[in-house]
Amino acid sequence: MSLFAAMQTGNPLGQLATAVVLGALAIYWLLPKPRGRSIAIGTFAAIASAVVLVSWVVRRFGDPAPDLVGNILFWLFSAGAIGFGTIFVSQRNPGRGAIAFAFVILSVCGLFLLLAAPFLMAATIVIYAGAIIVTFLFVLMLSHADGPTDENDRTREPMLGSLAGFAFLGLVLFALYQSSPAAAIDTNEAEYVLPARPVSGEERAALLEIAEQLSEVTKLQDKDAILEKTKLMRDRIAEIVGVPPTSVDAVAVPSRRKSIPDRLALLTDPRSLATKKLGEEIRQMNVKAFNALENNLLSKANPSANDIQKSTEALPALREKLIYLAGRGELPARNVANIGYVLYSEYLLAVEMAGTILLVATIGTVAIATRKRISA
Amino acid sequence: MISVWHYLAVAAVLFALGLIGFLTRRNLITMFLSAELMLQGVVLNLLAFSRFHANLSGQAFALFVVTVAACEAGIAMALFIVLYRRNKSLDASVWQSNREAGVPSSVDADALPTVAAEGADDPKLQPAGAKPQEPARV
Repeated sequence: MSLFAAMQTGNPLGQLATAVVLGALAIYWLLPKPRGRSIAIGTFAAIASAVVLVSWVVRRFGDPAPDLVGNILFWLFSAGAIGFGTIFVSQRNPGRGAIAFAFVILSVCGLFLLLAAPFLMAATIVIYAGAIIVTFLFVLMLSHADGPTDENDRTREPMLGSLAGFAFLGLVLFALYQSSPAAAIDTNEAEYVLPARPVSGEERAALLEIAEQLSEVTKLQDKDAILEKTKLMRDRIAEIVGVPPTSVDAVAVPSRRKSIPDRLALLTDPRSLATKKLGEEIRQMNVKAFNALENNLLSKANPSANDIQKSTEALPALREKLIYLAGRGELPARNVANIGYVLYSEYLLAVEMAGTILLVATIGTVAIATRKRISA
Repeated sequence: MISVWHYLAVAAVLFALGLIGFLTRRNLITMFLSAELMLQGVVLNLLAFSRFHANLSGQAFALFVVTVAACEAGIAMALFIVLYRRNKSLDASVWQSNREAGVPSSVDADALPTVAAEGADDPKLQPAGAKPQEPARV
């Protein structure tokens, strides 16, 4: 979801009026005149007007490219990381190499942010900023600036080294391809071998869309409209969560992908168990809710208002469960709080051990670097 | 749509670059930073899988990787100081006398390019006029 689509406050007409007024004021402030001209306020108003206007266009006419910002940022940061990494490895001057490495760290931190890890992004920037400044001090302290040196201007086995590195890269990428869904599609296999994620992005989008449609259905009062809206809904939900094994149409829905509870069948951690249980509940509710809907509507030629109300009364609960299941596919929003909780509950022993390692490393550093006085 | 495989591919490239740097470069500090580059590739892998499986185990593990990297940085810098004191050089090949028995020593065949000493190409100005007499200092 893009930034602009997220700004969904206020009514659209008011939004358009705001954009127009802001734009007019911006140009008024920017136009040259002896009194009352302010470039700062004008620029600010112009930017605000542009943001509101783009937000209105996206809301009214649709998003031209969904997640355009995310895509651009991903390509920018990964190109930055790889480009500066290449510069760093091939740079003769170690000081410049350290600066290129700093840019690699910044780009990788951008990727961390895209991967929903804001705490690690901040921590990595802080830690590596310190580390790189220290490295830089070492470079200044220990290297000689006069002319070419063995350590900077010679390479150990350049041909063999780069061949080894790229052979490794080729093998890793090939293994990645073999485990990806693209390979499963190319070779017509039923399922890819990587342990599956609980709720994939496509399933999440489908679940939220169905939940939206369900909330519209409960407001309808007309038999035909309700049947029209819910015609494919049952099969779409069944495609995601599967059908109960006892149901008559247990084999009626052919699906290339496994349903969510089937995919999680082998996993035993609490989160996966809870997701699996939720998926199985939705399976049962899906059958019950739509059976009730069809029984109440299809059997009667002119169902009363009471029948219509009874036919859709199970749908809000189903909708709620669908939204819960969609949320299972994403990391929690409060990143710092949740990492803290995980560290001090599940990984408490590991945290203590990391602290011990740091202490030992500090003592070791001091012990190694101390200049020993050889007594005469 | 950017999937987890895109991130894994970027991480693999970063790791391979760090590997090449560690294998081929001879400056100890550059070798150390190359090892850090490999660690960044690993952390990117962990975070991509953390997002993919929608749990925080990968992010917690990445924090421990950062911890180990900090320890590594401290120890490595202390070692560099000690090594530099012995030989006045950051070249890793200086220490090749410690290699295993039976491994041939590496010899640098090509001579390094020589750079003229600073000031060698500066233009020489002919002294013009008489040299001013300095007043005698008492």
